[in-house]
Amino acid sequence: MHLKFIRKLILALSGLFLCLFLIVHLSANCLLIFPEATARVLYNTYSTTLRESTFIKVISYFLYASIILHVWYALLTTISNRKSKPQKYVVNRTNENSTWSSQNMGLIGILILLFIVVHLANFWARIKLGLGEEVLLDKHGNKDVYEVTYSLFQNFYFVIFYSLLAFPLGLHLHHGLKSAFKTLGFYHKKGLELLAKVSLIYALIISVGFGLIPIIVYFK
Amino acid sequence: MKIKFKIWRQEGPEDKGAIKEYTVNDLTEEMSFLEALDHLNEQLVLKNEEVIAFEHDCREGICGQCGVFINGRAHGPINNITTCQLHMRSFNDGDTIFVEPWRAKSFPVIKDLIVDRSAFDRIIEHGAFISTNTGSAPEANALPIPKAVAESAMDAASCIGCGACVATCKNSSAALFTSAKINHLNNLPQGKAEEHKRVEEMTAQMDIEGFGSCTFTGACEVECPENISIVNIAEMHARLMKAKILG
Ligand code: HEM
Ligand code: FES
Repeated sequence: MHLKFIRKLILALSGLFLCLFLIVHLSANCLLIFPEATARVLYNTYSTTLRESTFIKVISYFLYASIILHVWYALLTTISNRKSKPQKYVVNRTNENSTWSSQNMGLIGILILLFIVVHLANFWARIKLGLGEEVLLDKHGNKDVYEVTYSLFQNFYFVIFYSLLAFPLGLHLHHGLKSAFKTLGFYHKKGLELLAKVSLIYALIISVGFGLIPIIVYFK
Repeated sequence: MKIKFKIWRQEGPEDKGAIKEYTVNDLTEEMSFLEALDHLNEQLVLKNEEVIAFEHDCREGICGQCGVFINGRAHGPINNITTCQLHMRSFNDGDTIFVEPWRAKSFPVIKDLIVDRSAFDRIIEHGAFISTNTGSAPEANALPIPKAVAESAMDAASCIGCGACVATCKNSSAALFTSAKINHLNNLPQGKAEEHKRVEEMTAQMDIEGFGSCTFTGACEVECPENISIVNIAEMHARLMKAKILG
């Protein structure tokens, strides 16, 4: 009973957890724009502290679970919703009654998934799993994660890839954040109006932030 | 005015159906959209052709019978009106107008522009009423209801069940309709006794009928002739969770 609603609850809860994570992630990435020497020490210390914390270890399992649950239930929801409208209209002017992103969350999500896969391969696989080129230590004995980032963003194509894919992320968050609250039953009218603005600002900060950092690092 | 109509024609539920083109030359701006269709049908009768089947009753925006997809919009290009409230002055001379039936798995086409909306009736049957025998009308002041509550119940109650929300929703979700019916009664003291049962059973029926789940595109509240707010859906979610937790 209420399977479709339960799916959406999981989608909303996992989505909101990912939204929180993005704030922390972006704040940490801001360390990368300091001058080289400072940025290297700060970023590597931060990264080592996280890796050694048990609390963060627990959080990281929540994070993996959130991504997997979110993608899985997004897929189920999208497929079942498509089945509810087997025949499309010959003419359908959705742009006159809704935003493009709200109509295309699945498509946007696939782009983000593509991003997440490449991103995990670039960093997580190298640093946590020890796959690919070995990560060296900095002069304080911490893994030189700064160097991993810096060298990746000397490659023009990666800069383009990371910066461009910040756009779909912004679109996804703009719709997703406010939608999640409504899914979870927040129905205060004034509150929802405020939330719509907060979602826009949040989405702008996250997408512009993640989009700019690779460019700044490239030109360092 | 001269209008080229491109209208969905379908003999019956099993027929595949297709868009057919009709040109009408002598329409006026004062005609309502349904009158324009009537006019076209009169010409078809004279030509011994099968008339276009479409639904209508009150023709004044209160019954919810009419409702077709016009040029890519439920009830046509103007927000928050019914098809019968649309006039030809909203179009230009020489326009092409696409007319299609509501599209949803749960609203199968019966003929041409007419769909079967009895899925809505079955949702209603699962709790959009109060199951006590109330006898004759009670004294009006015996049950005071705060104005704000009365108004929000009335806003929800104004839903005429036309189905535009389902038609325009990319997921064919019936959440706006169902939430309006639930909140209308659950907000009032008369509806309180059965509030949990009502929300649980009506939302369950929504899924059984094959409607999709709401993803808050917001298209429904733009097309709804009665301006039912999408906030109703969030409220329905809150009520459903409360019902699940409190049992
Ligand atoms: C950083 C990553 C992500 C964040 C922060 C995020 C956040 C969110 C949020 C908050 C929602 C709203 C839930 C609701 O409406 O109740 C949502 C919905 C959704 N997400 Fe994500 N998401 C992320 C990644 C993804 C990925 C990788 C996919 C797909 C492969 C995806 C697909 C979807 C879909 C299909 C919806 C659907 C709902 C709709 O149509 O409105 N998301 N997301
Ligand atoms: S015919 Fe009654 S609402 Fe349009």
